[in-house]
Amino acid sequence: MAHPSQLGFQDAASPVMEELLHFHDHALMIVFLISTFVLYIIVAMVTTNLTNKFILDSQEIEIIWTLLPAVILILIALPSLRILYLMDEINNPHLTIKAMGHQWYWSYEYTDYEDLGFDSYMIFTQDLTPGQFRLLEVDHRMVVPMESPIRALISAEDVLHSWAVPSLGVKMDAVPGRLNQTAFIASRPGIFYGQCSEICGANHSFMPIVVEAVPLVHFENWSSLMLEDA
Amino acid sequence: MLATRALSLIGKRAISTSVCVRGGHGVAKVEDYALPAYFDRRDNPLPDVSYVQNLSAEQKSLKEKEKGSWVALSNEEKIALYRISFKQSFAEMNQGSGEWKSVVGGIFFFIGFTGLVVLWQRKYVYGPVPHTFEEEYKEKELQRMLDMRMGPVQGFSAHWDYENKQWKK
Repeated sequence: MAHPSQLGFQDAASPVMEELLHFHDHALMIVFLISTFVLYIIVAMVTTNLTNKFILDSQEIEIIWTLLPAVILILIALPSLRILYLMDEINNPHLTIKAMGHQWYWSYEYTDYEDLGFDSYMIFTQDLTPGQFRLLEVDHRMVVPMESPIRALISAEDVLHSWAVPSLGVKMDAVPGRLNQTAFIASRPGIFYGQCSEICGANHSFMPIVVEAVPLVHFENWSSLMLEDA
Repeated sequence: MLATRALSLIGKRAISTSVCVRGGHGVAKVEDYALPAYFDRRDNPLPDVSYVQNLSAEQKSLKEKEKGSWVALSNEEKIALYRISFKQSFAEMNQGSGEWKSVVGGIFFFIGFTGLVVLWQRKYVYGPVPHTFEEEYKEKELQRMLDMRMGPVQGFSAHWDYENKQWKK
């Protein structure tokens, strides 16, 4: 989750998010350079006492301010397209999890081997134990094995929702009647928070997503326990 | 007839700005804005017409004196001749005003007023904040974030020294 007054991205918990972070740094640096340059030009124009009414044309500067933006755009486009195609690579998921959006909770189904399904409701503010995060904690987290490619199939049972976990670099709309696929790898163990990202009614802000990445052994124990309970 | 009217407005000096440049050759009415006018501009130093069109007797005699040697003119006469042709000197037309002080003052005033509105809102409109904002609760939250290693790379936990249990310097 974000720490208080955080402005930038959360630390990446998946390789794709790492790539996105670095690309964002790259593109933002270009944006800052251009903005600073333009701001300088504006200040210079506004504060000068010099006038010149007789410039008609200049081939040299026209060439520069045509070529330079083209070069800058290529410098942005190449890393961007690289990441785009990286995200679409065929991977070999170890696990497939279905995340279904409801008004107003998520439900997760692990049906590769057994039939495991459970609902994930937000914990109300008054029921929080000391130290838990307001509006982010859920009663049943989506537990995944770490360092394994996971396929997430996202859909919805009623209205549009969106399944998003920023530190994993994942956001996928949950459309009723449609199955959307996304994939991620949790590169480190931990608990990663996200919130529903498509307006879905009164409690749209109160149906968070919590992914818990644990070593495979712990994942197996957890899934056995959940199956017993169910 | 139109030409005569136009001519009398601009005076004999400006006859060279010929009549055929202006007006529809006696068809269209000649508007005010289409006639040469006086202006003070830094980037256009020579206005189309003199500032003073109707010279007083004194000014007329000065103009006659101008036709002779300029060394014979005193400083006051030179200045009087300048003021016939021009309204403001470059120094006068370029001087700044104190308007920016009023603008900045107005900005600060309204920012201050907005602050007062916000304070009033916090006291009389908004309800109490959730219990998770209490100091004690926040401490537990922060401790939990550190225990969970949130942001271990560059973010939150990266700035905590786990050995010495303090923030990194």
